[in-house]
Amino acid sequence: MRWTSIALTLAIAGMPLASAVGQSSGDDWGDDPWAQEQTGWQWYGFIEGAVAPRLQNDPAVDNDYTLGETRLQIEGERQFGDYTATLKADAWLDGVEEGGRGDLREANLAGRLTPQTDIRFGRQIITWGTGDLVFLNDLFPKDYVAFFSGRGDDYLKAPTDAVKLSWFGDVNVDFVWMPRATPNRFITGERLSYFSPQAGRRVAAPPEIDPRDRDQVGEDSEFALRLYQTIDGVEYAGYAYHGYDKQPSAFDRDADEAYFPRLSSLGASVRRPLLGGIANLETAYYHGEDGNGRDPDLPNDQWRWLGGYEHEPFSDITLGWQYSLDWTQDHDALIDALPNGQRRYAPDEYRHLLTNRVTWQGQRQDLTLSLFTFYSPSDEDYYFRPRATYRFGDRLTGTAGANLFGGEDDWTFHTQLEDNSNAYFRLRYSF
Amino acid sequence: MKNTLGLTLLLTAGLAAGAASAQMTDATEIVEAANKASYYAGEDGRSAARMTIVQGDGSRQRRQFTLLRQDVADGGDQRYLVVFSRPADIRGTVFRVEKHVGDSDDRWLYLPALDLVKRIAAGDKRTSFVGSHFYYEDISGRGTEEDRHTLIETTEDYYVIESTPKDPDNVAFARYHTRIDRETLLPMRTEYQREDGEVYRRMTVTEVETIDGYPTGTEARMEDLDSGGHTVTQFRFSEYDVGLPSRIFSERSLRNPPRDWLRRE
Repeated sequence: MRWTSIALTLAIAGMPLASAVGQSSGDDWGDDPWAQEQTGWQWYGFIEGAVAPRLQNDPAVDNDYTLGETRLQIEGERQFGDYTATLKADAWLDGVEEGGRGDLREANLAGRLTPQTDIRFGRQIITWGTGDLVFLNDLFPKDYVAFFSGRGDDYLKAPTDAVKLSWFGDVNVDFVWMPRATPNRFITGERLSYFSPQAGRRVAAPPEIDPRDRDQVGEDSEFALRLYQTIDGVEYAGYAYHGYDKQPSAFDRDADEAYFPRLSSLGASVRRPLLGGIANLETAYYHGEDGNGRDPDLPNDQWRWLGGYEHEPFSDITLGWQYSLDWTQDHDALIDALPNGQRRYAPDEYRHLLTNRVTWQGQRQDLTLSLFTFYSPSDEDYYFRPRATYRFGDRLTGTAGANLFGGEDDWTFHTQLEDNSNAYFRLRYSF
Repeated sequence: MKNTLGLTLLLTAGLAAGAASAQMTDATEIVEAANKASYYAGEDGRSAARMTIVQGDGSRQRRQFTLLRQDVADGGDQRYLVVFSRPADIRGTVFRVEKHVGDSDDRWLYLPALDLVKRIAAGDKRTSFVGSHFYYEDISGRGTEEDRHTLIETTEDYYVIESTPKDPDNVAFARYHTRIDRETLLPMRTEYQREDGEVYRRMTVTEVETIDGYPTGTEARMEDLDSGGHTVTQFRFSEYDVGLPSRIFSERSLRNPPRDWLRRE
């Protein structure tokens, strides 16, 4: 990344700082909030400067930064009777990918269809399930590139074009139709390096991973269903999904390209208070295109489990613990089908993952220190996410943190990202 | 019809106030009456609220939200829905509470940017409510059974109650004194003391209005005497007995707040 981009980022990020300090003691509600409620469009947004230097040289990527950008987000909201229209769009100058970029994150209409039915129609963010940064039944698109490179947590979820119908009764039902498949914003090699089993080492773009598109409206539809209810403080839910893998996990040898194979899943979860904290248990069965596990170019079925517990042992300190298991089905068949040289890259039959979250809030929540740890005893790898967030006021927030990857074998999920380990700094001015 | 109802309410409130100004002598009875007057007015309630948080160095922050409340039982369990509208970084956040007296509350938080419904551990109720000097407990009430109460003085206008915690390890105060208005039974001033009697935290009700027949503290100030900071909370557009349906206190309202019931009349 060129130094000019960084200077520009810091200069633009610094501008609101000056104005915020200048007016921090003023009475700046802007309009009269006690007057009658707003009608018409209301606009909000933020300007953010962010920079994330790599903490080591990455031989595969010719860039010392995973992130360097100045971002503007504009959000608009308007009531139309019982319906709310929402627009949220980002535009940013990107120092890593060199140029201007844009992203329409939300453009939807939400409201009451009938007294018992809500609808949200259009581009939206959808989340469900009980995990903390671990997803089993939530097969809505994620943006791991943003997550690993130092952008805010808000960017972990990627938008999807969908119709979401919610029916409320003795059992509540959410039904989501995505007319065309929306994959994760996965690592392509553009910003972050990854491990390639074909090459037997860590690689990056060029060439970029460019899988076959799944964007035929109608033909490439995805469906997601959730049934849920809370009984005496215990939240029960059942889930189903029929669509495509969010990662380009399959390979077509004839066309020499990756693609998104079919994926269906069934699952359930329960979440309840326990011993002063919150306990959750979730399971999901992933059924793909390789029923017998003998095709090495397709992912095998998986049965996933997750147990978690979050509590507040001391004032202002929250601790969260999770254990998750990915149990690969027909593992022997997969190993037999792989050529000798590729076997060690295959997933373990049982992948164990432990996570821990420690959050401390001080100075009446203006200062938040947190550390999120992913550790896999079976993959022998780790991912640390330390972070400090300080709210200078209602408009200005600063965040500093790091994404630290490492482990034993170059090809496991977290270790492959080792050369992308970075420290990030973000300054956000909200308006 | 509406006028008749209003008149009935006024008369009932008048009767209640008349009864209240008769002298009470039992500390626990007074505290429970004050608890009901502060947190249980009407069967349900709606109010817009604005907080101004002033730090010791003079810097200011603000919070604005609408509060919906429904009583499951008078003096007992309650349901709350808090919908934030300001500042920009917490706009759209919704907080839902099922308050259980004598047991842990169930609490949920909705974060709109991630479409995430987070369930929050019961935890310590004596921590800052959304970054203000008020505690979660100051907003939703402290269980009257958690302290021992003594009536230490009765003046012409006030009952003065001293309360000491039954479980002193769980709280920072050694005791607190509450001045309760004999007429309205509203706690007008609460001072939290350390072991040596030093007052380090003070809540004062600075404005009272009678709304729908219920005396209501419409402005309150919480001072942190250690840091010199304070928070002023103002309530406007308050209404009681609006007939909130139970079903709006649900997950549905986190993602899609019940606008019909949030609208100011």
